[in-house]
Amino acid sequence: MAEFLSQYSIQRWLEACPQGYLEDTVYGHEAGESEPETVMMDEAQREAAIRTTTQLVVGERAALAASSGLVNAAPDYASKQFLATQTLDEARHVEIFTQRMYDLGVKKDDLESTLSQFANPNLIKFAEVLLEKVEAKDFIAGVVGQNIVLEGMAFTVFEMMEAGARDYNPKFAHTLQGTIADERRHVGFGENRIGSLIKENPEKRPEIEKMQRDMTYFMLATFADSFSGNPDPIDAPAEAEGASVEWQGVNLATATPEEMEALLAGTVLGEFKTRLARIGLEYQSPSMG
Amino acid sequence: MSNIEPHALGAEAFFDEVQSFEFWFGAVEGYLTDRPFGHSSDTVDVALDDVRRDRLITTLCNYCVGETAALEGSSGLVRLAPNRNAKIFMATQVVDEARHLEVFLARLKDLGVDDAEAEIQRRANPLLLDFKDSLLELVDAGEWSSAVFAQNVILETMEFTVFRAHERTADPITAEVLRGVISDERRHFGFGENDIGRRVAQDPDLRSRLKDLRTRFDAMVVGVFDDAVGELALTGEGAPDLSRDYMDAVSRLGLGQ
Repeated sequence: MAEFLSQYSIQRWLEACPQGYLEDTVYGHEAGESEPETVMMDEAQREAAIRTTTQLVVGERAALAASSGLVNAAPDYASKQFLATQTLDEARHVEIFTQRMYDLGVKKDDLESTLSQFANPNLIKFAEVLLEKVEAKDFIAGVVGQNIVLEGMAFTVFEMMEAGARDYNPKFAHTLQGTIADERRHVGFGENRIGSLIKENPEKRPEIEKMQRDMTYFMLATFADSFSGNPDPIDAPAEAEGASVEWQGVNLATATPEEMEALLAGTVLGEFKTRLARIGLEYQSPSMG
Repeated sequence: MSNIEPHALGAEAFFDEVQSFEFWFGAVEGYLTDRPFGHSSDTVDVALDDVRRDRLITTLCNYCVGETAALEGSSGLVRLAPNRNAKIFMATQVVDEARHLEVFLARLKDLGVDDAEAEIQRRANPLLLDFKDSLLELVDAGEWSSAVFAQNVILETMEFTVFRAHERTADPITAEVLRGVISDERRHFGFGENDIGRRVAQDPDLRSRLKDLRTRFDAMVVGVFDDAVGELALTGEGAPDLSRDYMDAVSRLGLGQ
């Protein structure tokens, strides 16, 4: 364990992240980049972008609360150190997505009310399931919920959005690329650290599997709310049509919202199954009834 | 780091700037680049005699206790922070504290300590452990102002004072590691003094609550300083007055005797 954890030290993080892929970025993107005029000039598109970004801020705030809360629950120094880097990663994500809200024209004084107006209630419930475990200082459940379920979801959602934004909104795509690199590290830690702990604590399995099932339920409900009847669910509007926006073999510019929802849900659930199996847990399907 | 001069900004913009990830990274970049585990690879280690080596191990073990307290305290404070800027600042402090822990653990390893966790348990100063418990009780109780006072004013000032005194007499590698840590501590207690100073000015009851807390912590702080003076052999003419920085910090907040 000690050898693998040395890969997640502060020193490695400093070299890979702030001194690596974030070097010379400003709020996660290249200096001088801005939101496309097509988004800023079209009220419907701007509101769609604000709505999407709201979910990112809400998700990242939950991740910040969870990762910081887990530092105290971690059983060893190396895990505490990794979670400290994750805490700062998540705080950076909160900062850069909040900055995007401002870039999209949200006034600072209106930030909280705008977040309250657009935050998806199912995403908030998803976060509450996780934070209940963190509050209870349950390290194993907390890391599965945070680094496998939440981060696994975020990783895939960001990848899909990045593919959609790559050509028409390089600023947003670049912002997402840095966060994807961070999420990859977080998921890797979760998989590597938690497998042995689950093996040592088999009595925890039912409770953790229930948490995963509940979080998955609220995640799918969030996806359903976001895609249902929304012509621009991934913040890649019609201007992207004709451009190269292929993701997982599907052209996002021509796919219907229903097709995109099915694609995203299928990809995330597939990732969950793979990652949960790696740590010795069986994926639990939620009842959407 | 941006080229903005923070002190030319209005109050709200000032906090947006100085409590951001961008500002943190600009601040630490200069003294962390090319210094893996807190020191340059060009810095030459010197052989320490057995007595000095053993004293240094005890000192570093207690630094690890202090940094673990600060790591667990600041991570708990992220949740309690009253606004986004304070949350982001606390997150930068979390990673700073974890880095300090990592560099001190690395130095212990250089000195031949294989099982640092066991060594820390064996050598930890009980007063420092009491301080840690008291700090985490405040965090668990959700008391933002009291916990920030205990952590970012008392603990950080205590560490800053001891590290600065130690840096003057330490071997070259330990001294370089300490200089990087001291730069962070200055930022942390700056945040604490600013946050607590503003709150005390608006809430007279808070001043008396913090004075009570300060009285509770005084014995622990003075005891830790006394022990540090012995471990670091800081006695005799010209020895630093470790209590003075601490007294100055609490006096600046109007919390002196």
